[in-house]
Amino acid sequence: MSARVNMRPANKNTLLKVVILGDGGVGKSCLMNRFVSNHFDEHSFHTIGVEFLNKDIEIDNENYTLQIWDTAGQERFKTLRTPFYRGSDICMLTYAIDDKSSFRNMNMWKNEFLYYADIKENTYFPFIVVGNKSDVLVEEREVSQLELETWCNENGIASCIETSAKSASNVQEAFKMAVQHWLRAEIRADRTECTYSDTVDLNKKQSDSRSSCCTGASED
Amino acid sequence: MTSGSENDYKAKLIACVKKEVKQVMEESVTKKFVHEESGSVTSLCGAVEACLSQGLRRRALGLFKTSSTTALLHKIAKHNSDAAVISKKVIELENLDPNRRSSSSSDSTTKPVLMKNMSLQNVNLLPKYLWIRLALFEKQLSRIIDYLVANATRYYDKDALVADPDYGSILSSLLVGPCALDYSRTKTADHFWTDPPADELLQRHRISSSHSTPPPVRRPIPNFRRSLNTSSEDSSSRCTTQHIAKDYVESLHQNSRATLLFGKNNVLVSPPKAGHTEPMPGYLSLHQTANCLTIKWTPNQLMNGFTESDVPDKSIYWDYAIQVRLDEVVYVHCHQDIETGGTVILVGQDGVQRPPIHFPKGGHMLAFLNCLETGLLPHGRLDPPLWSQQSCTARNSKRKRPLPSLVEENEPKDFVFRIVDSSNHKEISVKRHDLMNRNYVTTKVRAQLGSSSTSSESSTKSFSIDQNGVGDGTSNVCIKAVCDSMKRQIISRAFYGWLAYCRHLSTVRTHLSGLVHGTIITGDTAKDGLTQEKWCELYVDGVLQHADEVYKLTYFGGVAHDLRKDVWPYLLGHYKFGSTLAQRDELSEQTKQAYETTMSEWLAVEAIVKQRDKETQANAIAKLSSESTSGEQVPPQIQRDLSNDVFEDISDYEFDSNDDTDEDKPKRPKKTKQNTVIYDGSDEDRRKLSLEQESAEVANLHLNEESRNNNIEDNDKKFIGNVIVTNPSVDMSNILVECQRKSSLRAVTEEGTSLDTLDCIETHGLVSPARSACVSPASSNGGVYSTELLETFGLNLHRIEKDVQRCDRNYWYFTGDNLDKLRNVMCTYVWEHLDIGYMQGMCDLVAPLLVIFNDESLTYACFCHLMERMVENFPNGNAMDCHFANMRSLIQILDSEMYELMHSHGDYTHFYFCYRWFLLDFKRELVYNDVFAFWEVIWAAQQVASSHYVLFLALALLEIYRDIILSNSMDFTDIIKFFNEMAERHDAQEVLRIARELVLQLQLLIENK
Repeated sequence: MSARVNMRPANKNTLLKVVILGDGGVGKSCLMNRFVSNHFDEHSFHTIGVEFLNKDIEIDNENYTLQIWDTAGQERFKTLRTPFYRGSDICMLTYAIDDKSSFRNMNMWKNEFLYYADIKENTYFPFIVVGNKSDVLVEEREVSQLELETWCNENGIASCIETSAKSASNVQEAFKMAVQHWLRAEIRADRTECTYSDTVDLNKKQSDSRSSCCTGASED
Repeated sequence: MTSGSENDYKAKLIACVKKEVKQVMEESVTKKFVHEESGSVTSLCGAVEACLSQGLRRRALGLFKTSSTTALLHKIAKHNSDAAVISKKVIELENLDPNRRSSSSSDSTTKPVLMKNMSLQNVNLLPKYLWIRLALFEKQLSRIIDYLVANATRYYDKDALVADPDYGSILSSLLVGPCALDYSRTKTADHFWTDPPADELLQRHRISSSHSTPPPVRRPIPNFRRSLNTSSEDSSSRCTTQHIAKDYVESLHQNSRATLLFGKNNVLVSPPKAGHTEPMPGYLSLHQTANCLTIKWTPNQLMNGFTESDVPDKSIYWDYAIQVRLDEVVYVHCHQDIETGGTVILVGQDGVQRPPIHFPKGGHMLAFLNCLETGLLPHGRLDPPLWSQQSCTARNSKRKRPLPSLVEENEPKDFVFRIVDSSNHKEISVKRHDLMNRNYVTTKVRAQLGSSSTSSESSTKSFSIDQNGVGDGTSNVCIKAVCDSMKRQIISRAFYGWLAYCRHLSTVRTHLSGLVHGTIITGDTAKDGLTQEKWCELYVDGVLQHADEVYKLTYFGGVAHDLRKDVWPYLLGHYKFGSTLAQRDELSEQTKQAYETTMSEWLAVEAIVKQRDKETQANAIAKLSSESTSGEQVPPQIQRDLSNDVFEDISDYEFDSNDDTDEDKPKRPKKTKQNTVIYDGSDEDRRKLSLEQESAEVANLHLNEESRNNNIEDNDKKFIGNVIVTNPSVDMSNILVECQRKSSLRAVTEEGTSLDTLDCIETHGLVSPARSACVSPASSNGGVYSTELLETFGLNLHRIEKDVQRCDRNYWYFTGDNLDKLRNVMCTYVWEHLDIGYMQGMCDLVAPLLVIFNDESLTYACFCHLMERMVENFPNGNAMDCHFANMRSLIQILDSEMYELMHSHGDYTHFYFCYRWFLLDFKRELVYNDVFAFWEVIWAAQQVASSHYVLFLALALLEIYRDIILSNSMDFTDIIKFFNEMAERHDAQEVLRIARELVLQLQLLIENK
């Protein structure tokens, strides 16, 4: 009997594990800190290892607790980072709009995540793509919105958004969007699960069968 | 109950609520929030529950269940909207939990479903006092109680607390405050301090990990509380002992009142009260309290939700639970059966058989009998004894049996054991038994005889209790018996202690002897550290002698801040002890020159890189403005420039199945075309460069920034298009004759090595563009850099730039020029170690050195020394895994409780929470002054006590918070979060002290062999 079970009574909030990935310096920690504590540190440290914070969020009258995992951006720290992918509910791929290479590396991040999070092939997973630093001057921008949308379309990712942790623009929205996106994926998965349901949406893809009862949220 | 005591009781209940309200309110003031799971919230809910259940008209209302207040809530929900809301929520929550049904459900009488193999782990428990809790969090509690008070006549006896004109309104008004608070759900560091005490959680944990063997440590039994009535309907008794179910569960565990001798789950018993013959699985345990041995059996259904006493349909299981006191048992019948694990039937003094206990297969019955026999000692025993060897020597053993067959189970046999009081004073014993109910003192003596705690402490206690009974004639015998038992206990305890110690030592020897130095150096005289006075004694005529003394002083007391600048180079091995001032000056001069040479080399490359970046960016922006299609159609040149780290480990790409490689393929041919860029110098540039260098030499100040800046500006202005020109090494040679030879030499070797490196990396077949075949030795005037070199260094520069800009910016030192210094040192290191490359965290290691020295070349030299050890911690080294493995062993030896906890969470083996500690020598965990203190002690410790001192620091950090970690049964994510939040809040001196103690502790352990 694990004692911690007693410590943590049934949480009426749904716990969602969110992993933020992206190149070093695109503002992963800043996004997290802006979202969790509405605080921005121009010179915040680069992350060593992993950190995480919790934040409660209400969406459509439902409460969620987001457990947000922030990772070290340098590729080499991979062995340290990847064990934490498992059991994630949402993955936030980030790049900086003034850094083309960070945009380009999203492929790498996406694949790394899918591999280590142990997502079955052809399974839908709620990614959200976030282009941070939307506060930079127009002439410093290296990635256009169009490029972002194109990339997302090509990779079958439905949600993308440009944010600025610095100016707090769209940060709350990004996380909200992520949860809503997750919710849609869950509902879709639920439909395939529920046998008692009277209505079956025949138009919906039935392959996204991510079980709703063992998302890993409760274990983590 | 008289009305007086009734009133007292009510006053007590109210006082209790008052106290808890105060506690919660205080918590909210001091911490600005109260956590939902806070212990004070639970206590408050408990106190409220006690008040509400007192005098409740259960019968009249048809509420017969233990959690009748929940039923009451559902009842009043029909009339009160607040209650209705809560009631709905309670039902919702309960329905979510598959292991319980709503307390209001009518099917509570249905037969229990037998659940096999119920794992204790995966049960999600609802908190205690669920509805009160919910009502509190929803801020409805006081209103619901208001309603109850207003309608008290309907629900309560007229002398109930709620019906009392004063107490009732006091109760509801007391709760107005707590109902106004917002309760937090987020765990914070502060919150950890208020969770339940470590002991309780530890006990529970212990049982979960050791079901079949008695725990190695037996606790003394200081006092005895009444054994628990498992089917208590009387709610007033709940008020005095609020957590009956919890206590009951705790009583199943090893705890302060009872030692657990045996525990086995899935033992089948048909409870007499169950009324059906099918045996149910349950948890069988053997407990030793001060009074007697007790056998308990608890249905699995209760074990799974054991903290919840207030679920009515579980209450029937409470009736099924069995407790048998061993002193009421005379015979133990054992029936062996090949197909099952055997059956034990206990027969009482009254000749009545207790329900058969069916053991599962696997020798559990034998284990049980063993434990029983051990537990009976020394005052009682099994007749015949279980052990065959004993049976040969045993006196009066009339029924000798071929006991080995019991062990071997070849042939099923039945045995009957008699439980005998071995003090050979049976008459007295019987007499005492008769007296039991009348004579308190004698009862105690008798009780002591029944016990057989192995702890000498408890024996002493029992002895003193016996002395109280000296007046009684019978107790003389008892004292003798007690003395005998003490003797035996002391001897056996000593033996087991010695045995355990030997095992312990062998573990220590195999795993840990390499972690500390064999010779113990004591630091009694070194507590004050290396002070100015000590420094004056040791530093004579510019020569620092007595290395040992310096190390010792540093290790035990640190270095005075003003001296760090002078002492650290010694500690890091840059200066040699015993060197003269002149020698060191020379060394410094050499260091400086070498540093400047290296810098000029990479500055030149940087200029090229910057230029290329600029073009790339221009291209990208140009493209962006005219772009209309996909991001994949970028000109290949840019793609290449921005591609991944060339030094990426090959394994990183294993999974990267198709995407990346496919993307790379088309690039290759294009790349080869422009693989080499030859930088040809124009005269003007060279002249300018040398001028810069010259003037900087003269000024001898900030040479490098200036030259760099100018260099860049220069380049930016001059370089047009693709032709980039420079040859710094040749320029440098014009200036200093001494430098000339060396620097050109360096330039050559440098180029050689970096290209070698690239070659060797490429053979791994990475993202690899075609191999460069490009270095043209013919261009004697110009530096030739391969595209790979440029790209590699460019990428490193890019990263360093990013990380330097956000390194310790909250510390006063790191602004403007000083950031440039940090960057220079970092770039120089990376240029010299391109095979290693820049890795995040290196900046953190340079920063404190730079703060102390404020001198680039000295910082660089010392950083190189530091990195000799530290580089192994970074991703390509293997030191981190060693650290984790050593941590594991150390914790096992030095804190077995913690080890047990960590062992139970498999994830702990990763020890990721220590990663940053080891990677940066705790730099991010502490404020700057403490970083200095930690670092110098780590360096000195290598000479004084341990080359792995960081391990002991890590362990000390864990130890400081061990109670919090243990009491919250933190898993690895909790610990990561906890320590991330605790960064820069540690008491560094305390950590150092504990770490030194831990080293000493281990040294003593090893020395003792």
